Amino acid sequence: MKKSFLAITLLFLFFFSCQTEKKINKKKEYLRWVGDIEQNKQIDELEYKVCNGDDKILQYFNVGKGPTYFGEKSRILNTFKTNYKSIADKKENGLIRIRFIVNCKGKAGRFRVLQSDYDYQEKQFDKEIVSQLLNITKGIENWEVLKINQVPLDYYTYLIFKITDGQLTEILP
Amino acid sequence: MKYFNFLIVLISFSSVFSQPNCEAYKYFGDTLKYEACKKAEQIKNHYQFSKKFQKILDESILIDSTFAYAYREKSVAYLKSGDFITWKKLMDKAVKFDSKDNLGYRGWCRYQFFRDYEGAIKDLEKLDNLVDYDIGHSINGTYHLNIAKGLCYKGIGEKEKAIKIIENQIKLNEKEDFVGAYDYLHLGALYLETERFEKAINVFKKQSQTNELAENQYYLALTFLKLNKPDKYKSCLEKATELYIGGRKMSDPYSNPMDKVYLKNIEDELRTAYNNDYK
Repeated sequence: MKKSFLAITLLFLFFFSCQTEKKINKKKEYLRWVGDIEQNKQIDELEYKVCNGDDKILQYFNVGKGPTYFGEKSRILNTFKTNYKSIADKKENGLIRIRFIVNCKGKAGRFRVLQSDYDYQEKQFDKEIVSQLLNITKGIENWEVLKINQVPLDYYTYLIFKITDGQLTEILP
Repeated sequence: MKYFNFLIVLISFSSVFSQPNCEAYKYFGDTLKYEACKKAEQIKNHYQFSKKFQKILDESILIDSTFAYAYREKSVAYLKSGDFITWKKLMDKAVKFDSKDNLGYRGWCRYQFFRDYEGAIKDLEKLDNLVDYDIGHSINGTYHLNIAKGLCYKGIGEKEKAIKIIENQIKLNEKEDFVGAYDYLHLGALYLETERFEKAINVFKKQSQTNELAENQYYLALTFLKLNKPDKYKSCLEKATELYIGGRKMSDPYSNPMDKVYLKNIEDELRTAYNNDYK
């Protein structure tokens, strides 16, 4: 009885240590480029497609035009000003980044959220704040179509929201 | 494929920063840093976002975990993709192992990418206390770091302090004949916001002479409105529109500069001018 208990414990520890190692190794693995977003069928819209394949998704600044928005940034600012409902809470401070892909048709998908306090330490904001920002971003129907040599691109871009006491104070870049 | 070939030319493969002089480490007997430095040199010809680029720098850090340059180079892709958490961890290491070389850069990035005004001020003031030489310019060359610090003070609402810092630095820049592309404009906007209208007009005129911009004419228009000069108000707005459409506007490859205005702002103001029957 004692022996079998020991064997089970060892087996469990062995299995657990493999899992941990796997997790660490996985964390160290780099994708093609820093910040690449792989499709996740559980959270991404299945009908959302990039046009030129994942290995050709660029960054917004690769075309050298700076951050560009369909209708300029003033349109983005106005969209959030109109739709974001502040949640007054002294504890809600920091940065929220929503990164996503804009495909060759100017449609956005594969949204990912990163959150930190103002000391750049990871934190979780009130779900209501995050879900509002995410839903408003997802609701923007058209994004700038970027082209090189007249060929429309798929590219990564992001919005960073500065939240102070639950109020949306700035949108970057 | 056609665009991808173009991209190869377009994307800067080389490092953002000047390569460290590896031989200097050898000369001073720091063989570990010399080896880490030689390894880091291999990033040349690799894109800073790529797996290869990052792995070479990881190997460099494995050789010498105090080699600041490798952390700083690694951080750039995270900065540009907006991953402020990883970026900050890497830059903290770079600052820890070489504060003089990295505080100014970290401070500037805090401002440029994340509008972290307080963090940027801390870094720039710490650097100023640490060295007895000029703290220099932002990595993109747009501003002297003291101007950036002034803008950060404006960002936290300390406008008088911002004005003082920017005025002082502009005087020094004028002596060197090296005034930044937006220096006068920022100072003018501050004068306008603090109701020093004549001073504002004076610096907006200087901005026109050195680097005319739509934003400059826009703020000049608002100043004339305050001074009840409707003709000038309207004509400046019309000029601002022309300049904006012609591409003479504030820009930055990674962010929207402070005091930037958009075409909608100018058009809305122009509409107000017409509706109020300013002629």
